[in-house]
Amino acid sequence: MAAPMALRRELCSLARIFSGISHLGPRALGACADQRKCNIIRSHLPLTSSTSFHTATVLSSVPSSITVTDEPDALFQKVSLLVKGHDKAVLDSYETFATMAAKELGITISRVDEPLKDIERLTVLKSVHIFKKHRVQYEMRTHYRCIELSHITGCTAQVYLEYIQRNLPEGVAMEVTKTAMEKVPEHIHEPMWKDHPVDDTPNK
Amino acid sequence: MASHTSKAFLNLGRIHVSGLAFQKSVSRATYTTGVSVNPSNVNKGALYRGDHGSSLRKPKRDPGQPRTAKMPVDQDWTAVYPAAASFKWSSVPLPVRMGYPVKGGVPPEKKGNLELIKIPNFLHLTPTAIKKHCEALKPFCTEWPSALDTDAKCDEHFPIKVKSTDYVAAGPSLRNPSARIVHLSVKLSSLNLDDHAHKKMRKLVGERYCKKTDTLTIKTDSCPLRQQNKDYAMYLLTVLYHESWKTEDWEAEKTVADMEEYSWEDSPSQRNILDMLAHMKVAGEGEGEEVREQLLGRKEVQEYKDCVTRLKNEGESESVILQYKEAVKKVLNL
Repeated sequence: MAAPMALRRELCSLARIFSGISHLGPRALGACADQRKCNIIRSHLPLTSSTSFHTATVLSSVPSSITVTDEPDALFQKVSLLVKGHDKAVLDSYETFATMAAKELGITISRVDEPLKDIERLTVLKSVHIFKKHRVQYEMRTHYRCIELSHITGCTAQVYLEYIQRNLPEGVAMEVTKTAMEKVPEHIHEPMWKDHPVDDTPNK
Repeated sequence: MASHTSKAFLNLGRIHVSGLAFQKSVSRATYTTGVSVNPSNVNKGALYRGDHGSSLRKPKRDPGQPRTAKMPVDQDWTAVYPAAASFKWSSVPLPVRMGYPVKGGVPPEKKGNLELIKIPNFLHLTPTAIKKHCEALKPFCTEWPSALDTDAKCDEHFPIKVKSTDYVAAGPSLRNPSARIVHLSVKLSSLNLDDHAHKKMRKLVGERYCKKTDTLTIKTDSCPLRQQNKDYAMYLLTVLYHESWKTEDWEAEKTVADMEEYSWEDSPSQRNILDMLAHMKVAGEGEGEEVREQLLGRKEVQEYKDCVTRLKNEGESESVILQYKEAVKKVLNL
């Protein structure tokens, strides 16, 4: 089907571009077309030789080689980013950045939302001693921004989230809620009592 | 000869130095700042700050032209701000003003403006920079399988959903204890359960099952690590599944009160309607079981049965009550 073929093509093109990739033969793809055989792509920086530990690593002009493993990729049906900050303008800029980055990497954004702000107020006495009638009020405003991404693989999610989180501005917090999809495991397909009928249980 | 702004120093006089080559070549366009540049020459020897330091102190270099004066329009901005950095007024060729305006005036300029330095800036994340970064990141991404384009297909092939949250915040510690919580949700229709197992499963999980969406949600937070919580949730699901297929001896003592749904057979409603119809002698003469059998087989009685079951199971609503009314009228020939 389309998905395994596309991945094989991508793998072949990767093999041509990057050197040092091992075990890239034709993969035994499952009979079911919907089975995800996306492989995790891991990268490692060019290894420095032992003699050059004390010298600065010279970044080679060749990009770091990418290794492809056989471990099946995670699939996230929904990744929801909630960004919290005290300044709405900063969140606006961050939202433009995040949406632009997602578009460049080919990630579908299902929804960009702005939940209502929270204001936490605090009333304290203005003076150190007496003067109960005169107080001072402080407030802390927390603005929110919610970006929902849908149908994203584990590798892409890792790359995108690391990029986004490294560029998180000062004073801004983020919560990432990931909903991963999994198949029903083998041991839940059939009840085990079919092969091993229940004897006298101590539950009586 | 260097020229620079000289507002801070006590000028002895403004010496207009001739032959100033401002390097404003005709072919290249440069940025002009709003700051006035006073060409003057400060005599480094006579410092009015105290003569005792004059010989010991290193001679102060003049800062020279701001970088913005030498920037071409088509420069590579990603080289000026390659990473996140604070706002440097001499490197940003924009006439930005920020702050509370003076009375009858404008907000202060960017030179020495603390407000501009305080707020986070996104000068290192221009669209060009983002495109460059994403080009470098593209090889590490994988494609979503094209066969799973709708949510329905995803649910069909991957019915188990595991939800967890990560937290990113600056503080004394990177860790957040709420990050260990895992929610595992699965639709019971996607599991291999027969009727008895389905009912027993619902009784076992209690409130964790939502009838509207037919979803069982297990929330685990008893273990300190997320992986442990996930494994525990899968273990719970396995145990629930296998236990619900078991039939214990005491399950035979299930009473009418334990039933999940209302069933009309052997209920007071059935007895009442049959007694009433037998009294009314609708089916003609005859006693005992065969009268009841005959009555049960009639269409109106069946309709009445459906209405009562629907009313008890679904609750009261306009359409249900109207249907019940029609059925009662037909059964009693009103």
